[in-house]
Amino acid sequence: MNGTPVLQIEHLTGGYSLGRPVLHNIEFQVSPGEMVGLIGLNGAGKSTTMKHILGLMTPHQGGVSLLGHTREEDPEAYQAALAFVPESPLLYDELTVREHMEFAARAYSVAPEVYEERAAALLKLFRMEEKADSLSLHLSKGMKQKVMIMCAFIARPSLYVIDEPFLGLDPLGIRSLLDFMMDLKRSGASILLSSHILSTIENYCDRFVVLHQGSVIAQGTLKEIAQVARMPGATLEDIFYNLVKGGD
Amino acid sequence: MDLVELRKRRKALHWSKILPYLPYVFQSGVAVLLLILMIAFSAWYTRFLQHIPEGLPIGWIMILLLGPAVIYSGFRTYIHPADSVFLLPQEASMSTYFKPAFWSGILYKLSGTYAILLVLWPLYQRSDGIRHPFWIWLIVLLLLKLAGAYGAWQELKIASHRARAGFRLLRWCVLLLLLAAWVWQPAWKSLLFLILVVVNYVLALRFPMKHRVPWENLIAAEKASAANNMLVLGWFVDVPAEGQGVSPRRWLDWIGKRISWSREGAYRYLLTKTLVRGELLGIGARLTILGAILVGWCGRTWLGLGLYLFFVFLIGAQLSVLRHAHRDSSAALYYPLPSGARKKEAADLGSRTLAGAAVIMWLPLLPQGDGPLTYLGGSLVAGLILVYAMRSNWNRKWREEEED
Repeated sequence: MNGTPVLQIEHLTGGYSLGRPVLHNIEFQVSPGEMVGLIGLNGAGKSTTMKHILGLMTPHQGGVSLLGHTREEDPEAYQAALAFVPESPLLYDELTVREHMEFAARAYSVAPEVYEERAAALLKLFRMEEKADSLSLHLSKGMKQKVMIMCAFIARPSLYVIDEPFLGLDPLGIRSLLDFMMDLKRSGASILLSSHILSTIENYCDRFVVLHQGSVIAQGTLKEIAQVARMPGATLEDIFYNLVKGGD
Repeated sequence: MDLVELRKRRKALHWSKILPYLPYVFQSGVAVLLLILMIAFSAWYTRFLQHIPEGLPIGWIMILLLGPAVIYSGFRTYIHPADSVFLLPQEASMSTYFKPAFWSGILYKLSGTYAILLVLWPLYQRSDGIRHPFWIWLIVLLLLKLAGAYGAWQELKIASHRARAGFRLLRWCVLLLLLAAWVWQPAWKSLLFLILVVVNYVLALRFPMKHRVPWENLIAAEKASAANNMLVLGWFVDVPAEGQGVSPRRWLDWIGKRISWSREGAYRYLLTKTLVRGELLGIGARLTILGAILVGWCGRTWLGLGLYLFFVFLIGAQLSVLRHAHRDSSAALYYPLPSGARKKEAADLGSRTLAGAAVIMWLPLLPQGDGPLTYLGGSLVAGLILVYAMRSNWNRKWREEEED
């Protein structure tokens, strides 16, 4: 899992107004084939960090690079190197489930035959075959979330940025998603995942970045952050609780 | 909570969002053009009334123009999605909230219907056969409007989607039948018929299963009404066009399949599907059909050419809204679309669709043997030149918007 990082965040300070940054000097990286869990309380800055990665916000200081290049250098190549699953599903009412995947495949230049193959596999995996030709506005929230996830997985970018993917998913959906992410990881893809379901991601993520009040207060493997919290052998939930309680 | 006051506040808030656009509407070229066209229409209509062609089907014209006005029903409730949670405890007293929406819905649309009647009245006066007095016309239109609005309101309450669609169709049929009976039958016969049919229609509306307050239908209807308002404003000024109603239109699923499989084609694919499933297609299709009928009716005359170009322009003004589709959607930001794709694809798709509509509206001129042949070719060329000019105008305007 070594080599040039897929995602490199250096000294990132940013937010919605210049005088009041939300993020303070954030630094972390995601290596190829690595799954990193970005964890923090509500308002810790997880979504703001993700928005900076996606290029939806401009850093006040520092920067974000993907495969060694910033968004300013080549916006299209930068965007093509990552796929995003937002916390709330954002779909087009006018498109069916299958058409969403087709749109994503076209946008990411996935070959038609590869798209057909991947779409069939994803529809089966997430048990959405019967809904494939339904308009997205007729789907439940969980199903919409599945469509977002399938659209991200139809492409094979270097980095997946996934914000609270388990919200609204049924238990089978969560299992399918985790298994699929593990497969992707094994194939060399990198994943930055934000979730509050710490007990679930504990066994799947290689490393964790703990954000609190806009700063990274700990990062590393479970063992490493346990050392920071002086709680060797503790669960992620206990470590996290101890870290953020101490940070207040 | 004072529900009447709440609706008033919401209405005021809605208009405070719309009113700032009105000065731009008056300043826009479209408004001036519509005014010129109105003046031109008035001049033509006055002349037309003096020389009405023999055997003109005035009864059919009355039904064709008054029918849609009588059928059209809509209510601005200003209901918010969150109301299904926060106003749910007040469900029993929600009728006080909805009553003004129901009556103002009737009032505004009735004034529109009366305006059409006023325009048609001189023509009606010159028709052969049965002619009813003006004041009875006003009463009959009021009764039809009331029956239609009551039916439309009850449809919103119907729980089953299919039953709702069935009753909508029934309402259209009932209203058109009653209007036709009124146009062609003696007053006493048609009034008796009207009462009998309306009583049966109202009784029939009691059968389907209904919600006490159809929250979800009301929210969807309100969203569609608000989006329609913005759509109309979008003809004149730059406003967001999100939230338009969506219809599955399965029979048009094939459209978009042949778009080139590339990153450049991705946005075209999305936009094509948006056009195919959105309200814009319905509006464009209705205008194209109306335009084709009128052009065919006028034949190879200068009036026909004027109407033809007017409808090309009108449909083009509607299609320019494509520029705003998904503009404010953050979802599009997440996909790696080529820069400038949105503007280019909106202009491409808009002008291609407009060219298609221009050709369809020109087709009724083909079987008409009278009139010069150069007119036939010339009108099509003029239509296509207008399409090209509108596309150039979009490109220039949208470039300026980006530079601003």
